[in-house]
Amino acid sequence: MDRSRADVRETYDRIGTHFSKTRVNPWPEVEAFVADAADADLGLDVGCGNGRHVEILKQRAGRVVGVDASRSLLDAATERVPDGRFLLGDASNLPIATDRVDLALYIATLHHLPSREARIESLDELARVLDPDGEAFVSAWSTTHDNFDAPPDAEMGFDTTVEWTLPGGETVPRFYHIYAPAEFQADVEASQLSLDAFELSNGNCYGTVSPASH
Amino acid sequence: MQEDLMDIICCPLDKHDLELDVEEREDGEIVAGTLTCTECGETYPIEDGIPNLLPPDMREDAPA
Repeated sequence: MDRSRADVRETYDRIGTHFSKTRVNPWPEVEAFVADAADADLGLDVGCGNGRHVEILKQRAGRVVGVDASRSLLDAATERVPDGRFLLGDASNLPIATDRVDLALYIATLHHLPSREARIESLDELARVLDPDGEAFVSAWSTTHDNFDAPPDAEMGFDTTVEWTLPGGETVPRFYHIYAPAEFQADVEASQLSLDAFELSNGNCYGTVSPASH
Repeated sequence: MQEDLMDIICCPLDKHDLELDVEEREDGEIVAGTLTCTECGETYPIEDGIPNLLPPDMREDAPA
């Protein structure tokens, strides 16, 4: 079932090497979140890609684990952060023990999951692995980005395909669910996470979250 | 893979502990081996130092 999650993995295995070279710098919103966070024993980056935010998390956490569904991106991450700990995994089925993580990132990954069910499952998984006192930062692409002409007060976002162009000119389609800001907040609230803060920045929704039972 | 990951990782399906079987070690890191769920028995390979803990239906060799 659910071949489409495997499709996302295959897409990034195909474009990973080139994609990674274009994703050099950490995002300032992520740097600010980590800078404000308390020191942590264990940090987790779900959808870590080439590891650019694993480097940032290491400033706050004793150990950092990066999870991604694409092997070619993890190979780039291992090269970039040689002392990082990386594993292949699915955001909706995290292979991480319950209540273990103090500080987590889930950046620009939620929008690649092809159904609302899978997206909320992944938010539930994030809630499960977080320590009751842990916190996380979640981002997704939003309808407020300049690329889209959706009304800013739309209730619901939309599914779309964004082409990635490889150096030889070949294009590879990538699935995205573009979130309306209200929908992003509603999906977080529908999960086992509580939304402690929300902001829009550079066309992305950002949520600071913690386990709802906290 | 560094062995201290063993107290962090679990089976992605049922979240039970995994048992480590090392096939090859290099400079203290596990390069090749197998992780087996102590509950459901599903096995996950460690390939070139990276554990593959994708659910079986998302693996590269999964049937379409």
